[in-house]
Amino acid sequence: MKVDKSVLKQIGLKTLNTIIPVLIAFAIGSIVILFAKENPLNIYFILFDRSFFRIQGFLKTLHYAGPLILAGLAIALSFKSGLFNMGIEGQIVSAGFVVAVLGYRWQSLPSITLIPLLLVSGILVGVLVALLPAFLKARYNVNEMVVTLLLNYAIVQILEYLTSNVFRDPSSGYVSTNMIGQSAIMTRLLGSKLTLFFFVVIIVFVIFYIIFNHSKLGFEITAMGKNRFFAEATGMRIQKKIMIIMLTSGALAGLAGAGWMLSEKFSYTLDFSGTPGLGWDGMLIALLGSHSPIGILIAGIFYAVLKTGSSNIAIFTNVPAEIIVLLQALIVLFLSLKSILKIKPIPVGKLFQRKEKS
Amino acid sequence: MEIIKTIGLTKKFGDFIANDNIDLIVEKGEIKAIVGENGAGKSTLMNMLYGLLKPTAGEIFIRGENVHFDSPNDAINKGIGMVHQHFKLVPSLTISENVMLGIEIDKKIIVGKHSFSMPSIDHKRESKVVQALIDRFQFGLNATDVVKNLSIGAKQKVEILKMLYRNVEIVIFDEPTAVLTPQEIEAFFKTMRELKQQGKSIILITHKLQEVMEVSDSVTVIKQGKIIGNRITKDTSNKELARMMIGREVLLRVEKHYQDYSEKPIIYEVNNLSTKNHEGINVVNGINFFLREGEILGIAGVEGNGQTELLDLLTGLLKSTSGTVRFLGKDITNEWPDTLRLEKIAFIPEDRYEQGLCTDMSIGENIIAGYHGNLDVCKNGILISKKIAEKRNRLIKNYDIRVSDCEGKVSSLSGGNAQKIIISREFDADPLLLIAAQPTRGVDIGAIEFIHQSLLNIQKNGKSILLISSELSEIMSLADRIAVIYKGQIIGEVSGKDASREEIGYLMAGILERSHENES
Ligand SMILES: Nc1ncnc2c1ncn2[C@@H]1O[C@H](COP(=O)(O)OP(=O)(O)OP(=O)(O)O)[C@@H](O)[C@H]1O
Ligand SMILES: [Mg+2]
Repeated sequence: MKVDKSVLKQIGLKTLNTIIPVLIAFAIGSIVILFAKENPLNIYFILFDRSFFRIQGFLKTLHYAGPLILAGLAIALSFKSGLFNMGIEGQIVSAGFVVAVLGYRWQSLPSITLIPLLLVSGILVGVLVALLPAFLKARYNVNEMVVTLLLNYAIVQILEYLTSNVFRDPSSGYVSTNMIGQSAIMTRLLGSKLTLFFFVVIIVFVIFYIIFNHSKLGFEITAMGKNRFFAEATGMRIQKKIMIIMLTSGALAGLAGAGWMLSEKFSYTLDFSGTPGLGWDGMLIALLGSHSPIGILIAGIFYAVLKTGSSNIAIFTNVPAEIIVLLQALIVLFLSLKSILKIKPIPVGKLFQRKEKS
Repeated sequence: MEIIKTIGLTKKFGDFIANDNIDLIVEKGEIKAIVGENGAGKSTLMNMLYGLLKPTAGEIFIRGENVHFDSPNDAINKGIGMVHQHFKLVPSLTISENVMLGIEIDKKIIVGKHSFSMPSIDHKRESKVVQALIDRFQFGLNATDVVKNLSIGAKQKVEILKMLYRNVEIVIFDEPTAVLTPQEIEAFFKTMRELKQQGKSIILITHKLQEVMEVSDSVTVIKQGKIIGNRITKDTSNKELARMMIGREVLLRVEKHYQDYSEKPIIYEVNNLSTKNHEGINVVNGINFFLREGEILGIAGVEGNGQTELLDLLTGLLKSTSGTVRFLGKDITNEWPDTLRLEKIAFIPEDRYEQGLCTDMSIGENIIAGYHGNLDVCKNGILISKKIAEKRNRLIKNYDIRVSDCEGKVSSLSGGNAQKIIISREFDADPLLLIAAQPTRGVDIGAIEFIHQSLLNIQKNGKSILLISSELSEIMSLADRIAVIYKGQIIGEVSGKDASREEIGYLMAGILERSHENES
């Protein structure tokens, strides 16, 4: 019983640590809302009531939460091991783009084969994009944060070029690829925006949860993130693990991009991933969820509430939808105040010295 | 004069009482030794005196003044300094920069009668001031040397300098000698006596009773959080202190039965092994040795002669530039650590907090680390928490590891008990070969007896042990053969049974001729 108490206390403290920054953000947000001569409580009520407590709104929220949860997991996986995969955004848009092109090319295939095929393609693209930084880190200890960050910009440029030239849909009034075929579109369920994709996310989540908390791999990832030298000395193959982690992280991002394409966007446009972008949203979600799977699930849904709620606020009140962006920014600010100090990158271990000599 | 006095000082961690009504008195100008088993509460007491921990109850008086510390800064302001076993220095800075960290001297511009501080540091003046301090205490250091190039003993002096510069009256040393070589320990004692002569008071925590007898003025024995006795050093003995600490007679040296292994098969063979360090120097330079079944080979040597690199080579953390390692006829040169474990070679690493343990993970997780893929705790890649807890509880019991909360993290363990986690993990793996480096560093005499006895039991079961230790007495009481490492080479070997300290001492100093004379 004593054990349970201390564990509960820890969980409680952790939750408090995340909830307080969110509350502060909302409190500051209310000041801004007051300037718009609206009642903050009323605004927040609309925000949550319409996108969380009403069934249709809730299903819509879940729909938006899907890719966000995947992006959050992708970030958490790498950060927890002490690696900084900042390339989630690039991996998501690359996967989205390729899936858009293939979804158009292969549209003669029936849904039952096409959709799984496209999801797998998305995963592969995510893995492929992650391959370069993963290899450079594992083999030469090149800083993965720099490589993945820079790669994002390169990818956005390349995709912009491809979308506006080679793969442009000439009949479309704006820069966009051809729309994916009807058979590639995931059907909506229960008369809402929700598709089967959300259930794919849930399955991935469950697998992930088990791996993270109960598996040998999860144990090694944690050990790696906490004490690199210890992990090496107790026989965990860091180089191999760096590859596995970076590529899995890429796979999750790829799946997010593919799902977003097949369940929401249907063609690749330059604002495919929105602002600031699903990958960056994922970072906030991982932070909010303190890099734990359950935390990320909750944070992903919370974040989706904000996202869907923002349009409701614009429709039903005088407060501009940008209030949500402000809230998001404030949350990041207050969360990072505590997190900056906590996450530390993995130092160069002895095995890298060993590697140099080979 | 009583410079420190505590009344009823108590510290609880949850329900666990780590310090129970401690009434400690330290006289001005004395060297006070504090001894006790692992987990007795010595570090906890010191951490309260140094403002790192807050007492649950009780009072602290410094020079008769009742004080309440919120941080080490408060303690330093009242003249109490502490040197931790794990140094807190910045390796890339010079000695003087480290000493001045946080209280740098700024450059001044003098215009007429006024002087203005510049936003840059006056390095010249800093090193001059620090050098003066070094000379005053005869530390024999150079203020402009970069800390990362210093030996451990010199780093410790830098820590002491940091305290002296901040004008402390009382210096606390928590197991200062555990990481020092015998020569460095001598120098350290000299430093302590020097400090004492200058009127400083010293608290010394150590597990080596010999040191207590040699250097202290009075001793306080702590057991399970309580003071169970105070003695004037010259009125007590090793034996009495040991009995007070442990509550029974302790064998200060285990019984070993020597036997002839020359007929036994060779199971481990290292041939011409070499590796270079960053600067391209051969730190391990053609090492040769072998181990027979059931034999204990000790490697003695002054620290810094390639032991660390040799160990990294043998445990798969460093790649060799030439040479081979063979185990049971198989070539295992440059194999990875996990492969070596599968071959049933177990390791006790030199640096417990860096390689042996992850302090930020639980006791259970640490106890399975390295063996976490084994079938007893892991099925199909999934770890079974129930089995882990069972293994943890079994080892805690069998190895008498004192924990305040078995679900807790390793960071909540005392230093010696943390070491016992590694010992229990590696012994429990039932290896064919155990490579043990400094296995008893920081553990109490009772536990040393236990670990030494266990090592001999492993040997009795026909297993072999490679023992690397800077503790000469440890090697001499356990090893069948003693090889001496000097400048990356094995420069000589003596039989453990009739080795003399002098003989090994000469070899450790790199003097060959003498030992040849003795042999012939
Ligand atoms: N932060 C903590 N949380 C819980 N328990 C703790 C904590 N710090 C110390 N303890 C417990 O208090 C007891 C005393 O620990 P302490 O470190 O003072 O021992 P010690 O006498 O210094 O032992 P050693 O000789 O092994 O260093 C131990 O049982 C330890 O597990
Ligand atoms: Mg201690």
